[in-house]
Amino acid sequence: MSEGAAHRSPYRIYWITWVILLVITVAMLGAEELHMPRLFLVLFLVAFMMVKATMIGGNFMHLRYEHRRMAFMVASGILLTSLILFFFISPESWHVRSLTSAPAPEPVGHVVE
Amino acid sequence: MHDGTHATAMDAHWGGGVSPFGAPWQKTMMWIFIITDGLLFSGLLCGYGFLRQASQLSWPKPGEVFSIPFIALMTFILITSSATMGSAVGAAKMDDRKAATRFLFLTILGGAAFLGCQAYEWTHLIHEGARLTSNPWSSPQFSACFFVLTGFHGSHVLSGLVILLITAIRTAMGKTPAQGVEMAGLYWHFADLVWVFIFTLFYLL
Repeated sequence: MSEGAAHRSPYRIYWITWVILLVITVAMLGAEELHMPRLFLVLFLVAFMMVKATMIGGNFMHLRYEHRRMAFMVASGILLTSLILFFFISPESWHVRSLTSAPAPEPVGHVVE
Repeated sequence: MHDGTHATAMDAHWGGGVSPFGAPWQKTMMWIFIITDGLLFSGLLCGYGFLRQASQLSWPKPGEVFSIPFIALMTFILITSSATMGSAVGAAKMDDRKAATRFLFLTILGGAAFLGCQAYEWTHLIHEGARLTSNPWSSPQFSACFFVLTGFHGSHVLSGLVILLITAIRTAMGKTPAQGVEMAGLYWHFADLVWVFIFTLFYLL
């Protein structure tokens, strides 16, 4: 290990990550004021959300220093499963919305006069 | 032979005697717990997404219901408490018990401040008429989602505070090793991680 690395503060990585997370949070709050199209705003916020999550997991939780197998377990356990859940549920929500917004069907059967 | 080599490699990693994930069993189990707890919040957030998308009534703009600067303050407090927690773990690994204890108590202070802000927000919304099954702004599911999401997260923060308090006291007494502080840190960072998702998906979008 180099002398520089040996004398480096053990707290440095946490406070650098803290600054970056705050900057990203401010950027996310400021995005609302830019009045960009809704789709771009969603993509922008979700992308920065994932960047923040990666920084917290990698630097604060030390996942970047763990064995590759551990990182893969965490990523597949949470991320992959959540994506599968999301992509199975989303079409159903649009289906429910279309059902509730459709006009009521005409009654079937003989009309007694 | 390929099969023999493959079997040897499998035995080396999964045959017992070594951790296949290269970490002590305590850390591995903590990560497995975090994955399962993460799936809980994943289900809750997907449920929220479903209800919002399926709702006939338009969802209120967050800025109309919440004070976004106040929520930003809560986010700042939680991120800072995560940084102090990381510093506590770093200090514990350097065998600096005093610094570790100091950073742990700073983290507890941050967590308590966050919970206080959350309690204020809940009180404010309840005062405005929000209930689990109704609210004055739009779809009844809006307030249900708010109370369930933030309630579950708040309960995790509260239990995290209890864990941190015990860890801080035991660290001050020299009874908790660095690994114990790291385990508490993993749980606390998980709570911060969940807030990143709730803050973005519920308060900003």
